[in-house]
Amino acid sequence: MAKEKTSTHIKLTRSDRIFTVCNYFFWGIILLIVIYPLYLIVISSVSDPYAVLNGEVLLYPVDFSWIGYEKIMKYTTLWRSYGWAFVYTIGGTAIGIFFTMLLAYALSNRFIGKGLINFMIVFTMFFSGGLIPTFLVMRDLGLYNKPIIMVLMGAMSVWNTMIARTYISSNIPRELYEAASIDGSDHFRYFFRIVLPLSGTIIAVLSVYYAVAKWNDYFTALVYLRDNTYWPLQTVLRQILASLTVSAGDVAEMFADDYTDVAETLRVSNVVKYCAIIISTVPAVILYLFMQEYFVKGVMIGSVKG
Amino acid sequence: MSTTNAPVAKREKGINWAQIRRRLIRDWQLYIFVLPALIYYIVFHYMPLYGIQIAFKDYKAVLGIQGSEWVGLKHFKEFFGSYLAWPLIKNTLLLNLYGLLWSFPIPVILALFLNRLGSAKFKKFTQTVIYIPHFVSTVVLAGMLYIFLDPTNGFINILISALGGTPQYFMAEPGWFRTVFIASAVWQSSGWGTIIYIAALTAVDQELYESAKIDGASILQQIFFIDLPTIVPMAMMMLILNSGSIMNGNMQKTLLLQTAGNKATSNTIGVYVYTMGLTNAQFSYTAAIGLFQNVISFIMVMTVNKITKEASSISMF
Repeated sequence: MAKEKTSTHIKLTRSDRIFTVCNYFFWGIILLIVIYPLYLIVISSVSDPYAVLNGEVLLYPVDFSWIGYEKIMKYTTLWRSYGWAFVYTIGGTAIGIFFTMLLAYALSNRFIGKGLINFMIVFTMFFSGGLIPTFLVMRDLGLYNKPIIMVLMGAMSVWNTMIARTYISSNIPRELYEAASIDGSDHFRYFFRIVLPLSGTIIAVLSVYYAVAKWNDYFTALVYLRDNTYWPLQTVLRQILASLTVSAGDVAEMFADDYTDVAETLRVSNVVKYCAIIISTVPAVILYLFMQEYFVKGVMIGSVKG
Repeated sequence: MSTTNAPVAKREKGINWAQIRRRLIRDWQLYIFVLPALIYYIVFHYMPLYGIQIAFKDYKAVLGIQGSEWVGLKHFKEFFGSYLAWPLIKNTLLLNLYGLLWSFPIPVILALFLNRLGSAKFKKFTQTVIYIPHFVSTVVLAGMLYIFLDPTNGFINILISALGGTPQYFMAEPGWFRTVFIASAVWQSSGWGTIIYIAALTAVDQELYESAKIDGASILQQIFFIDLPTIVPMAMMMLILNSGSIMNGNMQKTLLLQTAGNKATSNTIGVYVYTMGLTNAQFSYTAAIGLFQNVISFIMVMTVNKITKEASSISMF
């Protein structure tokens, strides 16, 4: 403590002062680059559609308006996909955590065949069947166009398994198991009564990782769900954002009550895109802001080389 | 990449069957613990690996993966013989190589300078902010690019016009594709990429800095001689992990950013496999291309791992 204090009081040399000033300036610019695009989306989503389309909205909302959000409330296709995204995210995260914790606990023990299991799992990180063979196998298994595939596909990740294993073997002492087994506890009881309650941190880490990955996935549905009524948010969003158009059917959905004219409809559906970005990104960013500590912890645990 | 602290099992000469049986019985519950994951990996990873055989067959849905007729290297020959092969390989390699060239060093540099922000509050704030883009989905990122790079009302082109330049058709010109792809990747991932380096830098012994200061080392010299060597091992690990992406890359993002206009540079192997395989149902042909891609990636990771191991004794295996 004392040492740190003296270090800040050592007089900075001229070159170090210049460096410090430049460094703050540098980070000011970096922050601007990171924030501005996001800020621009936010202010555009609450600006007048005409001003947005004219490129007038650059620094602050112009002619503040909720019209985009009003319209998006009526966008039933989008909200249905929003619901599916929650279902897939919650289901996938729950399964992912449970399977990962079971496996990680087993791998933190010694047993015959552990090396083989370990190798089998790590190998999948470096070599995969590829898109097409995977697709054909899933189709043969009857999982094509079934919503359940959205929960199962990518349910486990090798990386998450490794951080969970590292966490368990370095945070839950072996002696605890030995003590428990003397009292007649077996692996099942020990896992549910001792390991899981002591693994709050790693479970939080796993849940945020799995949840964000599931929430942001558009590709699985694109490949495995032909029926777009099951599509999650990101897959629907892709149609709206990447094609640059809101489809005629979607427009009809939103403007059924108060259709004015083509040009106005176009302008408003343009703003709807900004609103769609906001409502799809807000859950992930909120999760991040609240669970920031856990996201960072996950990377830290993962980077510990044993 | 990490190992348990459990001591290595005692090696015994000869196989003691009775002991093995005893241990299998003692540990039966652990096998139950492994089972769900094992089934998952078999179904979602090993069955597709088994399915790779269709790369050497003429896949017919009625005959199935196993029943289809063997055709040897037909699909590989067809791919490498076609005029498409070289542009696809070149697009994939260049996109990922340039990508690695930018996205590998930038987090290192950012971490080195971030570590030198004196104010703890500002440092914390900066970290919170620069991680945010990591949580923006690929679809939203692509959507933002389409919006911001719009030739008439995108803010980038408004800026260009204001500065007296000519607006660019960023999303519709082959010449811009890689720049757009890589710049947006840097925006999205660089901040997040600093975490592990920052973690490594917190482990530096404070006394090292003290003695460096007493010896009259400037901040820049400290960064160069203390901080940089500290994070080199971690950086090497990241390089090994990323080297496999030279042939794979971010296919999902490429698919989102591909337009009719930029196809000349945006058509990569991954996107081609997706469109030809799933849209045109050329299963065997695209499985063969996918296999080629996977094998190259695998060789890349192994090679880079070996090189860094020899050069610096840093490796993953």
